[in-house]
Amino acid sequence: MSTDRETLTRELLALVADEGMVEASEIAPEKRLEDLDIQSADFVMILMAIEEKYDVYISVDNELSDVETVQDLLDLVITKIEDQKAA
Amino acid sequence: MKRVVITGMGAVSACGLGADALVQATQSGASGVRPVKFTNIDQQRVGTAAALAPETKEKIEEDAGHRMREPVSNYAVMAAREAVAQAGLGPEDFGDRCGVSIGSGFGGAQTLDRNYMKFSVEGSMRLDPMSVPKIMNNAAASWVSMEFNAMGPAYCLATACSSGSQSIGLAYQLLKAGVMDRCLAGGSEASLEGGVFRVWELLRVMTADKNRPFSKDRNGMTLGEGSGVFVLETLESAKARGANILCEIAGYGTNSDAGDLLRPNPERAAACMNLALADAGLQGSDIGYVNAHGTGTVANDINEVAALRSVFGEDLAGLEVSSTKPVHGHALGAAGALELVASFGALQRQSAPPTINFNEVDPKIGIDPVGNAARPISTRAVMSNSLAFGGINATLILKTYE
Repeated sequence: MSTDRETLTRELLALVADEGMVEASEIAPEKRLEDLDIQSADFVMILMAIEEKYDVYISVDNELSDVETVQDLLDLVITKIEDQKAA
Repeated sequence: MKRVVITGMGAVSACGLGADALVQATQSGASGVRPVKFTNIDQQRVGTAAALAPETKEKIEEDAGHRMREPVSNYAVMAAREAVAQAGLGPEDFGDRCGVSIGSGFGGAQTLDRNYMKFSVEGSMRLDPMSVPKIMNNAAASWVSMEFNAMGPAYCLATACSSGSQSIGLAYQLLKAGVMDRCLAGGSEASLEGGVFRVWELLRVMTADKNRPFSKDRNGMTLGEGSGVFVLETLESAKARGANILCEIAGYGTNSDAGDLLRPNPERAAACMNLALADAGLQGSDIGYVNAHGTGTVANDINEVAALRSVFGEDLAGLEVSSTKPVHGHALGAAGALELVASFGALQRQSAPPTINFNEVDPKIGIDPVGNAARPISTRAVMSNSLAFGGINATLILKTYE
């Protein structure tokens, strides 16, 4: 994993904890979002913060329908951010 | 109970002026979706909507512009004029026995948006003094009643994406019960304004790509705007004045999920369709085409297909299903009215309009809708669904008049 990616992952974990109102110590990539009690209303807050910080738009739709764990969410967001940078 | 028929219809949409323009566009799959730009959104994330074309807006302003009203009312007045002209109604056909039932989701969004900007951003106290009558949700219904001197009951249902269908359904129920003889019924929406668009972006149900209902690669809806208005009459009133009957409204069902504000419930959507079928005295097998709510969001698609299978059978045999939203956009409070125009087009032409932008069957729902090209149908009845935020469902059934 490149340093960029590590930094990004760290930032995103903090962001998810913050916006999802979950203790940072509880967040881990393998955890299921459902088990962290992150619900659809939290998702829109998380995605709004991601849009503000990284300039990417992710709709609460297909892209998110297969997201179950924190890692799934990280993968999706990082891909989107990298696509955005490449564009 | 009286039978209720349609004798006129009018539409204003991204496909142009007129019900014919909308039927033509839905049948040929010519999309009215175009780039939109809002100056008060710093960084717009979604760049398209089924907004009216500039020439359509100009024509409406020329024909229906009024300093006391804003686009949402102008659209309704234009659509109502077309419907009334087609129905051949004269001054003697209005008065106390003619009602109006025109819903809207947002009401006067343009005035509201402009006021927010002036009041909050510029700190101005010099707002539009006519803001209240422009913004109020019933403005469109009231302007239509004044335009024609329709002095019967006037309603404005504001039930989000079901406003149009419920407004037509309510008019149908009142006519059936003999409360009035005729009614101008439909929906109007003109909420493609920066402030409104931004909150739809934040809800994240809009796609930044193309609207692809039922397709595996769907990723959200595309907003629209416009108005659809119908002349509904009791069969006896239509006959008494020798009117040309376009079709019959055979059934209507409406119910509430009473569950979640945003997440739909397939059992309740199915119950709603069954209510409409029972009201029409029809079986599922009598329906040849369903114009689905079909927003192209994963939540709607999964919900609506599960409901359709429950009503029409697991394999949906003999039934054509499509969504015309990629053509005219999701027009919210006008959606049900515009889609009833498209459904009438299907019945009249015996042709199920296509779901354009459809790419691939989604294994999650397994439905193969009418994709990309119209399909011939042979049926005497079609159905149109509206499934709104707030858990409010509405289903209308049109039947060939015999």
